Amino acid sequence: MPEIAMVQAINLALARGMAEDERVIVLGEDVGVDGGVFRATDGLFARFGADRVRDTPLAEAGIGGISVGLAAAGFKPVAEIQFSGFIFPLIDQLNNHASRFRTRTHGHLTCPLIIRTPCGGGIHAPEHHSESPEAMFTNIPGLRVIIPSSPRRAYGLLLAAMRGADPVVFMEPTKLYRGAREEMTDDGKDLPVDRCFVLREGTDVTLVAWGAMVPEALKTAAEWEAKGVSAEVIDVATLKPLDAETIVNSVRKTGRCVIVHEAPLTGGFGGEIAARVAQDAFGALLAPIERIAGYDTVMPLPSSRTSICPTRRASAAPSRAPWPTHEHIQPARSRRGFAGGRDRRLACRRRRSCRRRRAAARGRDRQGGGRGALAALGIHQASPGKAA
Amino acid sequence: MQNVVAHFDINSTRYLDAAGKLTQPLPVGMDKAALTALYRALVRTRTFDAKAVALQRTGRLGTYASSIGQEAVSVGAASAMRADDILVPSFREHGGQLWRGATPTELFLYWGGDERGNYFAKAPHDFPNCVPVGSHAPHAAGVALALKLRKEARAVVCIFGDGATSKGDVYEAMNFAGTWQLPVVFVISNNQWAISVPLKLQTATQALAQKAISAGIVGEQVDGNDVVAVHAVVDAALARARKGEGPSVIEAVTYRLGDHTTADDASRYRKDADVTPHWQEEPIRRLSQYLAGAGFWTKTDEDALLKQVNAEIDAAADAYLATPAPDPSVMFDYTYAQLPADLLAQKQSVLASSPTSMRQAAE
Amino acid sequence: MPSPRSGYIKHLLAKPHERVKVGGPIVEFDDAPHVDTGTVVGDLGIQAPPAAAPPAPAKPRPSPSAAPKAAGAKVSASPAVRALARERGVDLAQLTGSGPNGTITRADVERAGGEKPAGGAVPLAGIRRSMAINMAKAHAEIVPATVWDEADIGSWWSGQGDITVRLIRAVAAGCVAEPVLNSWYDGEAMTLETFKRIDLGIAVDFVGGLIVPVVRDAGGRAPAALRAEVDRLKTAARARTLPAAELRNPTITLSNFGMLAGLQAALVVVPPQVAIVGAGRISQRAIPRAHGLAFTHVLPLSLTFDHRVATGGEAGRFLKAMIDDLEKNA
Repeated sequence: MPEIAMVQAINLALARGMAEDERVIVLGEDVGVDGGVFRATDGLFARFGADRVRDTPLAEAGIGGISVGLAAAGFKPVAEIQFSGFIFPLIDQLNNHASRFRTRTHGHLTCPLIIRTPCGGGIHAPEHHSESPEAMFTNIPGLRVIIPSSPRRAYGLLLAAMRGADPVVFMEPTKLYRGAREEMTDDGKDLPVDRCFVLREGTDVTLVAWGAMVPEALKTAAEWEAKGVSAEVIDVATLKPLDAETIVNSVRKTGRCVIVHEAPLTGGFGGEIAARVAQDAFGALLAPIERIAGYDTVMPLPSSRTSICPTRRASAAPSRAPWPTHEHIQPARSRRGFAGGRDRRLACRRRRSCRRRRAAARGRDRQGGGRGALAALGIHQASPGKAA
Repeated sequence: MQNVVAHFDINSTRYLDAAGKLTQPLPVGMDKAALTALYRALVRTRTFDAKAVALQRTGRLGTYASSIGQEAVSVGAASAMRADDILVPSFREHGGQLWRGATPTELFLYWGGDERGNYFAKAPHDFPNCVPVGSHAPHAAGVALALKLRKEARAVVCIFGDGATSKGDVYEAMNFAGTWQLPVVFVISNNQWAISVPLKLQTATQALAQKAISAGIVGEQVDGNDVVAVHAVVDAALARARKGEGPSVIEAVTYRLGDHTTADDASRYRKDADVTPHWQEEPIRRLSQYLAGAGFWTKTDEDALLKQVNAEIDAAADAYLATPAPDPSVMFDYTYAQLPADLLAQKQSVLASSPTSMRQAAE
Repeated sequence: MPSPRSGYIKHLLAKPHERVKVGGPIVEFDDAPHVDTGTVVGDLGIQAPPAAAPPAPAKPRPSPSAAPKAAGAKVSASPAVRALARERGVDLAQLTGSGPNGTITRADVERAGGEKPAGGAVPLAGIRRSMAINMAKAHAEIVPATVWDEADIGSWWSGQGDITVRLIRAVAAGCVAEPVLNSWYDGEAMTLETFKRIDLGIAVDFVGGLIVPVVRDAGGRAPAALRAEVDRLKTAARARTLPAAELRNPTITLSNFGMLAGLQAALVVVPPQVAIVGAGRISQRAIPRAHGLAFTHVLPLSLTFDHRVATGGEAGRFLKAMIDDLEKNA
């Protein structure tokens, strides 16, 4: 079986969706002749023609509105918004129209559109190209919000979205476009959009993640396995409507829940999941629900400076502090550092506080810094490790 | 030395002046039958409008946006449409909706706060009202694109107000329409007021129609109080659109004789004395005068018409008032194509506590 | 009939059901300025001017460190742990949490054990406390090994009476045979001090605990003197009048535990000693003789020694010497 990258899987799904249903049309900036700036729509223009693969004027709100009209008039538009930083003008069309056409007309008009957009950081992009706005969309009734984390899931979920009848915001982690690879074939099989995927079973803690954080969670689970901690990893995939049942059942089994997302912490979708888990698995909890998320700041710009808070152990001290894989979340923020002199001073302060945290970790956790967070969850490991 | 690289004119059309006198020969086909049909529609619209206001004032309808003085715009445009064309209105096109087959009861349901007023049995493809100003203009372009892709000889009419022309959405829609030569006619119902903001504070353009020029499409003006002119100009624009000759923007100049909505009090920002002269220009008066002058309409006709429309509207209002409110749980049923598990749980909690279910439980 | 305007009615100029001429007045409005709805959509409700609310008295903010950890202070435990504690009948307030910030963990509850009858924890004091400390220390240091055997005392055992003196004599015989068992061992310095003199600790049981007075030079006293000394020590021990000096520094210990019950025991060697001798319960035994079975009395002996220092052979020879001495008929 060939190994393909996630962006290729998306391309295959689009081609298949368009081939099997002539109502599916693709539109967006640069999606036609250029095949999309990330090549997600590569080859579709040549295969399906200018009518079905449209290069649009530069007008995101208009693209959204056009898609609403097309969808209500019987087509299935798949509109690409070039970067998640540019999706915000569509919130009007999504919230005020796409998501509510069906309900306000009792099904006489529907809006089966898909808005595809790359999201998230980690590709050394300039400003506004690394957003993670999924939480805003999850608060809109009537919308589906889907974020794949692997080629197979991107393929299957996008097919399901195209075959479905609801408006969908399909957010593709930019970092995984080429960063996620797996063996798969263009078999036309879609995946359910009403449940989470349990990617790894475990008994000690439930790791909940989506998008680019899923591979991180799996990596971390593997590392913890070697230290005797068994983690269950859940890829939420469809954030809305949320399959809370899978997550709740997992936490009832493990008693511990850690939610990881790249978007800023406050108002992030992790809060919704934490609330549902607290509500339905309260009695099973052995430790407070933890969220590991981006800071409540704008994602900093990339720079050539190396990581400020480099090591996992350094960053895993108090229970509220970033957790072993925060290294991967943070420098979606801080590995890129800051630009400019003033920011260099900020960087130095950061470094000092890192050293303090490391020292604190050493004192507080005899078994080694990397275990601080686990200890906070009440997970005590058998073998003592190296000190931080 | 400067060269003129582009040069644009905005034409304006009128057939009947404010006093109801012809300024040029009537268009072909605008005979007595057509004119009286238009007149009936205008009167029916205003009767509906008055009833809606009365219902609101007596607490039996929600906030309502009266179209008084502007009836000719939507009636004129709708009368030029074919049945299988598609109307994408803002929220002041009651006359156009009624012409196209929406029933007064359906309209009362909408303004009374019932989703069953958002679709029309006899105009199933028309869009429901759009509250976020101008955001329906791109919808109209999208629908027009759908028609073009399917190679259907149908067109879309999108109506919005002067305030909407300041919105990016409206320009984006015109730009899409122009780039792709879409079969859509944008009708600007310029009633001179965006709530309290007069036109001169809305834009620097001499004519709103000139905004079409920036999108590279046809723009023209029409006397929005002259239903004959509105009909004729929209008719021509639709013919062009259906032939694949592209979109148009038609600015229909009229005046908002009433408040923005029943909750608004226009005397806060405009003097009654400034409004009064516009009553001399309103559409029903001028057409009535023409019809009377041409011998097409008598007092008997008028009395009969009033009696008929009043009866119809009263009956429609009664039907609306007698319509039982839907069960609250219905709000879940159309949120998605299929009800997801967590919404089902929410629906069940509503069902468990609804008066209907309590009654049923008690029975 | 719809009202032509919103406002307040000042006067009603007609009565309900009254016939009024068309165009005649029926209502007089209060010509106060138009009531401002305050909106262009919906209905914001009656706009009464808000009464000036009296300022609420400032609530005293509780000082963060105010609540002392008094009895009944909140314990920190997760819901699952609380549920487990309830199920097991464990009182969380009695536990010290081993989790972060003193949180009680599931393991803490499980360690607390199952159903606990009413009791109440009391701190150890005095002799019991000393015993706890010393035994723990012994356990941590000594490497114990035990050898058991029996002495046939049928030739002199009258069936009753105190055999302590004979035991002491036997122990002395053992020490002569294998002096290594009458030594002190310093495990850190790894030095062995073997004594000629036997200062024998005698375990004395009483209500309240165990006390071990020391018979100095147990090998050098005549039987009568031994008897007298043992009696004196026992009496004084039980009366708790024994000075501390009489409890110190035994070189080897004897425990005649068999006075009540118990045949053999692996007793605790208390460092720096390296051996402890135990005498169990005398019992009647049928033993084969040339002409058939004969009945006699046997005394079980236990010798526990520190194997860091003494060998099984040495222990065995010590015990043999004891047995030989005990089997003499006088």
